[in-house]
Amino acid sequence: MWMNDQRKRLCLENEVLHKEDFTQFSVYWYQSSDTYEASGTTSSSSGKLYTLAIPIPSGFPQQRPPMYLTYPLPLYTAAGYLVSALGTSHDMHTLAPSSSGQVQICHWRDDRWHSGILLHKVFLKGLLWIEAYEQHLATGRPLAEFVSTMKERI
Amino acid sequence: MTTDPQQQQMIREAMKAIAERRPGRSKLVYDKTKRTIVAVTEGTQSPRALNITADDADMFAVATLSSRWLREQWEKFARDGTITVRFSSWDDGEAFTQQELGPLPATSLVDGTLSTPDKASSATRTLLFLVLDPAKPDDSDLAVFTAPDGSAYRARVCEGADPVSVVFADVQPALAKRRASILETTVLADKSVVCVGVGTGGAHVAIELAKCGVGRFDLIDPDTLTVGNVVRHPGGISQVGRLKVKVVRDLILEKNPDARVSIHPVAVTAENLETIRLMIAEADVVICGTDGRPSKLLVNRLCIEENVVAVYGGAFRRAYGGQVLRVRPKASPCHECFVAAMPEESTDVEISSASAAEAIAYSDRPVAIEPGLSLDVLPIANMLTKLALMELLADTSSSLDILKADYAAPWYLWLNRPEPGTPYADWPPLSESSDEMTINRWYGIDLARDPDCPVCGDFISSVAASYGLDFASLGALPSLPTKE
Repeated sequence: MWMNDQRKRLCLENEVLHKEDFTQFSVYWYQSSDTYEASGTTSSSSGKLYTLAIPIPSGFPQQRPPMYLTYPLPLYTAAGYLVSALGTSHDMHTLAPSSSGQVQICHWRDDRWHSGILLHKVFLKGLLWIEAYEQHLATGRPLAEFVSTMKERI
Repeated sequence: MTTDPQQQQMIREAMKAIAERRPGRSKLVYDKTKRTIVAVTEGTQSPRALNITADDADMFAVATLSSRWLREQWEKFARDGTITVRFSSWDDGEAFTQQELGPLPATSLVDGTLSTPDKASSATRTLLFLVLDPAKPDDSDLAVFTAPDGSAYRARVCEGADPVSVVFADVQPALAKRRASILETTVLADKSVVCVGVGTGGAHVAIELAKCGVGRFDLIDPDTLTVGNVVRHPGGISQVGRLKVKVVRDLILEKNPDARVSIHPVAVTAENLETIRLMIAEADVVICGTDGRPSKLLVNRLCIEENVVAVYGGAFRRAYGGQVLRVRPKASPCHECFVAAMPEESTDVEISSASAAEAIAYSDRPVAIEPGLSLDVLPIANMLTKLALMELLADTSSSLDILKADYAAPWYLWLNRPEPGTPYADWPPLSESSDEMTINRWYGIDLARDPDCPVCGDFISSVAASYGLDFASLGALPSLPTKE
């Protein structure tokens, strides 16, 4: 099911992550199901741990890969509500959550995604989202106030 | 049109006699002194000038039979002496069109019979009972049918029936003849087009290509026609609720009955990519008229991998303008090259449907559906059609050859209006401009391929080099950490 170019691209993604010192993240191959996932656990500037997971869709890199925050689970807003319950939220920069309630971080929307975007940049946006989330918890202000709307050129 | 009952009766009698090709009581003759047509009826006083208009001629029904169908049925007809035929009855019996001629019948259908003269008296009568009389061969006369054995016939209604003019339609030769002055070839009948998205623009392109004679279509679109679509889509209000691929298939067959049309009511997604790949691999040109970038990127990848030319078209928001991109694999910029080179233009799309709005909306920040006018979409669809046609005829000599230099650029820009808030807001008025860029003009714009494009370039080597990775020398795929 995977084209050779896709496997090659995923190898490159893995190499770039490590080259850029994002060694907490790697691209993994699930041998039994022949699927791929990029994931890793990182710590915020406050020292809290978060796990980000990017299941690689079969249409990658033309198809936008979703990025979920899989730990901690569940994730709450400053007001004590489930972040996942907000669904696709501009204020929180989230998209539809996974079926198990994992928050999907909005890195690029489908209409902005293109094949030239590396997973390294997706994880970078994930790290920014985590920092903004902690600011949201500290202030109660919408997360969107701490991250600018994402531009095409990056 | 005359409203005098006596005049109408005289005209009807005269026309009936003409239709039946027999002398009648009433005749229509030209009166030189009165410089008009007059009806002359036996036993009446001096003829009266008639106020005849085209509407008067419409008083008499026309029945149209398929020449090809009759040729195919000729052996049976010659053997049995009669054959049944079904007609669409239009406009209270003003026109009868054989059902086999097209895919869309009238709501009223009538049974008809074709009979040889010797079987006419014994055959069961139907509403439209037509008798085939031997006639002099005449290819230019639509009322004359030429049988496979070369014999010729005219059809008439039985004596006593309402007058009906019978004509024979030899569809493909008639259509080809009309196209021949500009498309001096029938090569398009063997050409295959995949249409991804048959909304307003895609449907228009498909139908126009069918008019040009393109013979094979694969239509891909999961949507159904809604009431709101009708103000733009070629499908009409009576088609609401049908799949767009079926609506467009029927419209194609209305224009080119011999076209082979396959329909696929699916979205272009990674899950059905291989199915769509098979269609694209068989195509001569792919028309991509979808709104969403995800489907465009997937189509682009397949077209590059299968080396098939693709033409992408789309309107800007509220159709203030639009653009068309033609991609010749590895020879011109692909859609990913375009996205990288023109990020703003590539994201300026019309929000014409709920699904398009949903794709970019947040639950706390909805996006309005703002489709443009049909008349603002059609220039873009026409350009898309023209570019597709040029590609389909690329290896064939035709009068369109002189346009090759005109359509050399890969990207085309069109503006319907200088929309505020866009880079075109300050364009001068059309009436005051001579050589500046204005609305209502096409601009062909050259773009270079991106040698590092992820789809048509060497992205991996380029990225590897920029990160100081010696990726090319690795040869086999490096193993990744494995999770179970």
